[in-house]
Amino acid sequence: MPSETSDVWIVVPAYNEAGIIGDVIGQLRSAFANVVCVDDGSADDTGDIALRAGAHLVRHPVNLGQGAAIQTGVEYARSRPGAQVFATFDADGQHRVTDVLAMIDRLHSDSADIVIGTRFGPGVSRPPLLKRVVLQTAAALSPRGRRLGLTDTNNGLRVFNKTVADRLDITMNGMSHATEFIMLIDENRWRVAEQPVEVLYTEYSSAKGQPLLNGVNIIVDGFLRGRMPR
Amino acid sequence: MNWIQGLLIASIFALVIYLVRSRRSAQSQAWVKVGFVLFVLAGVYAVLRPNDTTVVAHWLGVARGTDLMLYALIIAFSFSTLSTYLRFKDLELRYARLARAIALDGAQTPDSH
Repeated sequence: MPSETSDVWIVVPAYNEAGIIGDVIGQLRSAFANVVCVDDGSADDTGDIALRAGAHLVRHPVNLGQGAAIQTGVEYARSRPGAQVFATFDADGQHRVTDVLAMIDRLHSDSADIVIGTRFGPGVSRPPLLKRVVLQTAAALSPRGRRLGLTDTNNGLRVFNKTVADRLDITMNGMSHATEFIMLIDENRWRVAEQPVEVLYTEYSSAKGQPLLNGVNIIVDGFLRGRMPR
Repeated sequence: MNWIQGLLIASIFALVIYLVRSRRSAQSQAWVKVGFVLFVLAGVYAVLRPNDTTVVAHWLGVARGTDLMLYALIIAFSFSTLSTYLRFKDLELRYARLARAIALDGAQTPDSH
């Protein structure tokens, strides 16, 4: 295991992923010493499998949603001694470990605060047509995303430094946290970079993906977010 | 434009402002109580002299007192729905933070397994 990744923490939010979580954690653990799985109140034994596969385990007593799980994982990771670099990584096996490694290099070489994965960069395969339309509409409807020059505002793969982790406060519990991430980047003037990543649309991840209609929730929640107490 | 149209549109904008600015300060809670007392007084009056609501309705350009009551009801219902929605969002966030504190307290490391 490369020693230079000892200051890296990978946050994996998981909800009912017992079928695949073991492989995902295993792959991550072959490259990273520190992986924390947040079991978001799963009904199956996702948490136990993740723990046996070598992840730290934080278990929500009830299901709260992916945004809340990411926040929990980051709060856990940032309290660990020596933690400097943080990554969010979906539990459904759609991300690649090599992309995370490249994004960590990018974080250091570009001296960015946060690097976000994009499915629309050069050299990566494009998502299926319908998915592409939804994602690009979401990105186009996000004025902040446009201002920051981001092409994929809903990518689950993110790498960020301690500055971002310490200030991170995701209040949207559900799937709207991606938009909230973009808002926080804009409000805190974090330096952001985009890195093309491959997203593997397996049958498994497609079955669990967000339906089209969820885009409506994301937009309305984004509008209301500013109204919530911080 | 009728008086009632102006009033209804003003109420809708008040609703939006309420939605955007709603922070449950002690002051806004006091206003809710004042509003409730006024509502009770107006309700008793309307029960005792139902035909007077029609007089008020005529001032505002509405044909019947019943219609005026219906408009008022729609606005009041929208206010209450929106404030309930915001209250729930607020509670959801507190609930998430409580659950998070419990989760972090019981965190397990792989070697302790």
